[in-house]
Amino acid sequence: MAELKIQHVDKIYDNNVQAVFDFNLDVKDGELIVLVGPSGCGKSTTLRMIAGLEDISAGHLLLDGKDITQAPAKDRDMAMVFQNYALYGHMTIYENMAFSLTLRKENPNVIHKKVLAAAEILGLTSQLNKKPSQLSGGQRQRVAMGRSIVRNPKVFLFDEPLSNLDAKLRGATRREILLLHKRLKATMLYVTHDQTEALTLADRIVCMSMGHVQQVGTPIELYDAPANKFVASFIGLPPMNFFDVTVREGMLEGKGFTVPLSEEEKGILLPYAGKEIDLGVRPEDVAADGSINMKVFSNENLGMNTLVHGHIGGSEAASNKISAKLRGWCDYKEGDNVGVSFSRKHFFDKESGNAIRKGESK
Amino acid sequence: MNDERTTRLDRMRFTKNTTSANLALLAIIFNLCFFISIYESDVGSWYYTILVGGSILYNLIFMLAAFLASEGIKNYKIGYSYLMIVLGIIQIVRIFIYPVKAHNAVVTIQEQAVTVMEGAQFTRVVLYLVLSAACLFAGAIVGIIRSRALEGHLATLESKAA
Repeated sequence: MAELKIQHVDKIYDNNVQAVFDFNLDVKDGELIVLVGPSGCGKSTTLRMIAGLEDISAGHLLLDGKDITQAPAKDRDMAMVFQNYALYGHMTIYENMAFSLTLRKENPNVIHKKVLAAAEILGLTSQLNKKPSQLSGGQRQRVAMGRSIVRNPKVFLFDEPLSNLDAKLRGATRREILLLHKRLKATMLYVTHDQTEALTLADRIVCMSMGHVQQVGTPIELYDAPANKFVASFIGLPPMNFFDVTVREGMLEGKGFTVPLSEEEKGILLPYAGKEIDLGVRPEDVAADGSINMKVFSNENLGMNTLVHGHIGGSEAASNKISAKLRGWCDYKEGDNVGVSFSRKHFFDKESGNAIRKGESK
Repeated sequence: MNDERTTRLDRMRFTKNTTSANLALLAIIFNLCFFISIYESDVGSWYYTILVGGSILYNLIFMLAAFLASEGIKNYKIGYSYLMIVLGIIQIVRIFIYPVKAHNAVVTIQEQAVTVMEGAQFTRVVLYLVLSAACLFAGAIVGIIRSRALEGHLATLESKAA
């Protein structure tokens, strides 16, 4: 049982730079929360505050109802896995995994059983007598995880654990972390700047920018219903296309193109009649079967899909740029004209950048 | 109890025999103490015969061999336990070579008979050699017991796996 409550947490450094603003989050027992955002958004700072490695400037941190805001790191019953593994090079894998328990002066036989159990889970049994330098990056990261597992902490904290691994190993280790979470049913907080990791691992994602929480939700919520333009552009690969459009009767009017609206969309945009908004369309929601003219300037075949880049509306303005992820193998040449349509649209307020949704009025 | 013993044995697969290794290092330290202490009395340069060269050479060999034994026994290599026993026997034999001879030797200085190594120094020097030998014997015995136990445990594991 490990429920973590983060209430109105701020982080202000000594030079008066504020890194985190009013962070609020309730982490349920056994939940895997991923903190995602670009570099410098405050996600690692937040994790370090939770771990006790940074002071909390304001707010409260509660673990199972107990206030641990001022508790030292060693008393928080949390284990952290770092990007650079932080293993002791002169110790064997067994000694590295046993180290924290040895420091606590636990019974050596108990330590042995815990280390063997963790090694079994992580597939490290045959590596226990080796030194970290004899292991691959993925195996070293597994050792770092093993070192956390033997402690049996209430909360696991991961600070970009896969960033040092190559793409293939990253995918494999990511799946291992997911399996580990399912097996241990532990509460985990995971920091990454990789939205693929966030979408594949998380029970819930916390998307951050400039120290502010932009949205908290399940991966599908962030993908399907982003709260604002930042989340819409950050989640999804390739990123969402944005167009400047004006709401007209029954349609959206952009520079040199119009987009028809469904009855439901008309209803949503009723308060915005005659006003400028941002239209967001994901590349995978563009289909090559419509009336909006796209002039192709590059064509990237990805095997199952083709990523086509171009401009719509006959204008080469930056705001008319579009990326389309079309199904199958396409072979468009530069200058080809393709008729496209948008199967799903997202609307954003021009001033606030917030999503315009059903039942929300300007 | 049996489970606890098995776990203790199994632990040896991943932990070093630091007890024996540290005892071998301690033997080196006692040998150093002996080596330094014998210079306290050099009455009439009695010691400065061919004995000094052999003694220095042996001390170097002893330290090297004991250090190698310490590293080897750390990894449960039983051969190094036997090396430690041999080194321990030599440490005991050494008592009768220099300290005893020096303790029994008398030189005449300014027409006065002087014992080369007086009682207190003799006792101390002998004690250092005895302690050094004791450390080597103890380390070797622990090493033999543990190495054999680990060997047996590994054989059991292998037979279980097969």
